[in-house]
Amino acid sequence: MYGLVTISGDPLQDLYEDQSPNKQAKIDQRIQILELDKPVPQRYLSWAGGAAKCLVPGLSCDLGQSRTGQDVTALLGDAISSTLALVSASVVLAIVLGVSVGIVSALRQYSAFDYTLTFAAFLFFSLPVFWVAVLLKQYAAIQLNDWLADPVVSTLVVAVLAGLSGLIWASIIGGDRRQRLLVFAAAAIATIATLSYLSAVRWFAQPALGPAAVIAVSLAVGLVVTLLGSGIRRRGVLYASVASAGLVGIVGTAASGWIETNASWTVLAALAIAAAAVAAAIGYALGGMDRIPAIRSAVLSALLAGGVVFLDLLLRAFPSYKDAVNGRVVATIGERTPNFTGTFWEVQIDLATHLVLPTAALILISFATYTRFTRASMLEVLNADYVRTARSKGLTERTVVVNHAFRNALIPVATLAAIDFGSVLGGAVITETVFGRKGLGSLLIDSVRNVDPNPVMGCYIVLAVSIVVFNMLADITYAYLDPRIRLS
Amino acid sequence: MIRPAGRTAVDGYIDDLPATRPEGVVLSVRNLTVGFPTDDGMVQAVRDVSYDVSAGEILGIVGESGSGKSVSSLAVMGLLPKSARITGSATYGGADLLRISQAARRSLRGRKIAMIFQDPLSSMNPVHTVGAQIAEAVRSHEAVSQKVALERAAEMLDLCGIPQATRRLKSYPHEFSGGMRQRAMIAMAIVNRPELIIADEPTTALDVTIQAQVLEKLFEVKDTVGAALVLITHDLGVVAGSADRVLVMYAGRAVEKGGVDEVFYRPRMPYTAGLLGSIPTLGSSGERLTPIGGAPPSLLNLPKGCPFIPRCPLAGPDCSVAEPDLTVTDAAGHEAACYHWDQVAALEDPRMLHHPAVIAQIVTPETAPPRGTRAAEATPIEGIA
Amino acid sequence: MTAEATPTAAEEPTLVGPLPGVEVEREFTVKARTQGELVRRRFFRHRAAMIGLVVLLGVILLSVTSIGIGPVPGWWNQDYLATGSSVDGGRPTLDLTPEVVDGQREFIGPHPFGQENTGRDYFAMTMRGTQQSLFIAFSVGLISVLLGTLVGAIAGYFGGLLGNVLMRITDLVITLPLIVVASVVSFRFGGAGVGALALVLGLLVWTQLARLMRGEVLSLREKEFVEAARAMGAGPWRIIGRHILPNVVGTILVSGTLWTSSAILLETALSFLGVGVRAPDISLGSLISDYQAAFQTRPWLFWWPGLFIILIALSINFIGDGLRDAFDPRQNRVRA
Repeated sequence: MYGLVTISGDPLQDLYEDQSPNKQAKIDQRIQILELDKPVPQRYLSWAGGAAKCLVPGLSCDLGQSRTGQDVTALLGDAISSTLALVSASVVLAIVLGVSVGIVSALRQYSAFDYTLTFAAFLFFSLPVFWVAVLLKQYAAIQLNDWLADPVVSTLVVAVLAGLSGLIWASIIGGDRRQRLLVFAAAAIATIATLSYLSAVRWFAQPALGPAAVIAVSLAVGLVVTLLGSGIRRRGVLYASVASAGLVGIVGTAASGWIETNASWTVLAALAIAAAAVAAAIGYALGGMDRIPAIRSAVLSALLAGGVVFLDLLLRAFPSYKDAVNGRVVATIGERTPNFTGTFWEVQIDLATHLVLPTAALILISFATYTRFTRASMLEVLNADYVRTARSKGLTERTVVVNHAFRNALIPVATLAAIDFGSVLGGAVITETVFGRKGLGSLLIDSVRNVDPNPVMGCYIVLAVSIVVFNMLADITYAYLDPRIRLS
Repeated sequence: MIRPAGRTAVDGYIDDLPATRPEGVVLSVRNLTVGFPTDDGMVQAVRDVSYDVSAGEILGIVGESGSGKSVSSLAVMGLLPKSARITGSATYGGADLLRISQAARRSLRGRKIAMIFQDPLSSMNPVHTVGAQIAEAVRSHEAVSQKVALERAAEMLDLCGIPQATRRLKSYPHEFSGGMRQRAMIAMAIVNRPELIIADEPTTALDVTIQAQVLEKLFEVKDTVGAALVLITHDLGVVAGSADRVLVMYAGRAVEKGGVDEVFYRPRMPYTAGLLGSIPTLGSSGERLTPIGGAPPSLLNLPKGCPFIPRCPLAGPDCSVAEPDLTVTDAAGHEAACYHWDQVAALEDPRMLHHPAVIAQIVTPETAPPRGTRAAEATPIEGIA
Repeated sequence: MTAEATPTAAEEPTLVGPLPGVEVEREFTVKARTQGELVRRRFFRHRAAMIGLVVLLGVILLSVTSIGIGPVPGWWNQDYLATGSSVDGGRPTLDLTPEVVDGQREFIGPHPFGQENTGRDYFAMTMRGTQQSLFIAFSVGLISVLLGTLVGAIAGYFGGLLGNVLMRITDLVITLPLIVVASVVSFRFGGAGVGALALVLGLLVWTQLARLMRGEVLSLREKEFVEAARAMGAGPWRIIGRHILPNVVGTILVSGTLWTSSAILLETALSFLGVGVRAPDISLGSLISDYQAAFQTRPWLFWWPGLFIILIALSINFIGDGLRDAFDPRQNRVRA
């Protein structure tokens, strides 16, 4: 690999055309940095020697220098954090969205929802990442920013969205003709009402949830988590979840002022842990017959409610952020706005807006893969004998799907995640280049183009290590999900 | 219907049977027909099958693979895919199982009517412990705590002959041996004291030595709980030793029905006769077996008339006009679907019906079978009665 | 079906069935079909695959015949290299509702895809790019299938050292994302022309197919019918050729197709990044890369190459899906 990069071109290429008076000095300097006067194998050995120092704790890592004399280790450090943010967001979102959509698609096989989704998955799968990235950057960013200046939702858009939402919900919830019509109508009306209201108050310009909404949403979160998890008939679980979520919502709203001013990641982490602990206690107390599911459900609801509070606080900082960036909210270059200072919240928003478009580009393909795969896996599981047994025991369909089918369908998805991680990294290379993020990918490509072997090797090492780590994570998850492969 | 919580005592759970166990007919299936639409046409898996199951009795349903025996029970339980076309009725407790709501059906499954499947390894969820799965069956019908449900599960496992039942609650299905797994399945089926148990080839996937043990246990448990049992199998020996009544199925149809001794010693349908004749017995060592020639028909394009014609030595021109219905034969309660059951009855040993020598004897000018059937190809052999 | 119970066609039919004169056999069986026929039938019934096939063939034909290939000229009057003056700011002259000019309606016009800033006809450029990208994609697919099948089969059947070596090599390539490895490799060789690039990419991709093939062969090797063949004295090559290969044909075809579609996306991505097909040659990826900044002013420079990439990749994916469904014996769409 080292050899391949070294011989792929002339590292002094660009300096030959240099017109400045100290051209020879620059050439000499570069020769010295890159040790171009020494033969290739020797260069490799000296690099390897430096790299080996990384494995010994206590000694500092010496991965060589880039051709401009910068320390590769330092370069990598910055690059890693940038790429890490992008890749984690993409992987998490792709898995959550892809798996949920895949499951719904499998449950409603051969429905319109299923067919549309399958086609969409195919389409996404065939999209070139770089094309999508450029499209988003040149087109979506500008359109979005323009719209955010005066966020009115036109009647046509409202109508279309209402229709779509109605169709989707009707398809998901299923049922006979009458029920579907009802769901369609309900969803459409709800969408029209919400969008019209939001549009009228220009909500998107100054988004905020307000304490009432936060508490209401928190309670709803508790309800939904129970509904999907144990079923609302398990009263103990229901009470515990709604109580914890509601508590977090109320306390969060009450203390929002304090949190706003004293925010930092450590504070937030501490709050999250505290919330989880309290929720666990509530789950234990109110769980009744279903202690353990109640605790699980309560903790999850509490954390999600905490997320809602977090979101609200973030949104509160939005208007001031918007002013600070002159209305160009959705960013297309880099990881953060240069020379930007602001409150904790504004900084977070800044980071997030710079992540939005690249993440969107990256998750497209992963999402398609997860959807198709989960759907196939779920379909296979739904036809399995043990699902038939579960039904023959008289379990409700919801229990059959969630407790039996879902867990088994997830098992192969863990393997898929390990494989997909590689392709996400590959996509990151492209996305970073398009969006000007200084991550591992762009570092790699630039170095390759500049015939600069040391950063390339450094990137390779980091990439390889991260893949190995991720594979290990996937293996652990697999073992957790499937008791058959645990060492007994 | 969720009964109020309150049972906490482990002892006496099984002894505490409800005052009334049903009398008379528990399940009454009439004219059950199941078809599956496929790319090549409609597959008629079950055609106009009717039978009754009385309280506490064991009904054996026998037939080859593809005869529709499993499908008919799955239809009764409501476990067939949505694409299946089911007509007919299956009356239980005054209600038609094929017509009641999903919720009502769910309430009956696992509680009043339970099913045991063929392969216990694939029929149990590999990611949940055995105890959890049995407890689940309890808690979906009764509002008890997990703890109580697990206690009941342990009691059931113990009843079914699994040693160290309480410890085994935490084991996963793949940690059990085949026989143990099937016992666990049985435990899962009876934990709510059903009135009817349907066992679909419960021992086919097990070693022969284990089969007998598991079957023994099944019958024992069934008596303890006081349930009726529908035993589906292709193994005649299993049925002969234990069933009260038997139903023989061929090509999706019921072709003989009656008390097990009646049917097995005095079969009246050529197919049953052939089945019985093809079993090697202890006394027949050294002789060639007498199989039924030919293969079962495809369920896609069934012709008019009796589906057994190409393999039947007694086939006559009247057989191809219309398929014979179950008609009462010379013994009460014994029905056979054959126009020529009396010829079968006339044979000294009906089980030898498919032996070439016997076939040769049957062929007379009056009953000359159509060309192209087995009977026509038989050549007379001298001197064998 | 047993011979004894059924009359031959020559004998007089004796049973009355649904149709007069129909033999007993037909009434009692489903028509037997060979594996190949079944697969073909299922494939041609797959609507999406058929559409994909048609579209792909259309694109190939269009790109090859329009500007010609090699020494053979095409029917399009423009060349992708000739510069000139921009007509109407280089806007595309493709119009579905053209006005009548001189008594004629011009649907296509001289520059249906528009022109780029030096006046070159964009349709010709796009066609050239399509040719290059298609060539690379199919070469990669072909190389990887051929090499992968051969080496994988050998490694799988004979095992031993070759198998292990193969696995190490593939591990090396597989661990890192393909684009990472490919960028270095193609940067080195990409300048040497499209053929070299295709070769190099093919050499990277075949390892994946070989690995897949090896796995399949390994599992098939243990099956009873192979044991039976061995017991009958068949030599290893005969076994591989007659018994194992027909069973993996499906997997290989499907994988090969899907890798071809990945190849086109990979190549265009590499060209986009500047390490694939390079100037003066054109690839659909290099077109997008060159003109990405022009999106605001000349969006057509961006849309057309992208559209073609998507069309090609999508059609190949549909074909691959159709093949997968055709080869899958469990597929039996129940008409609900």
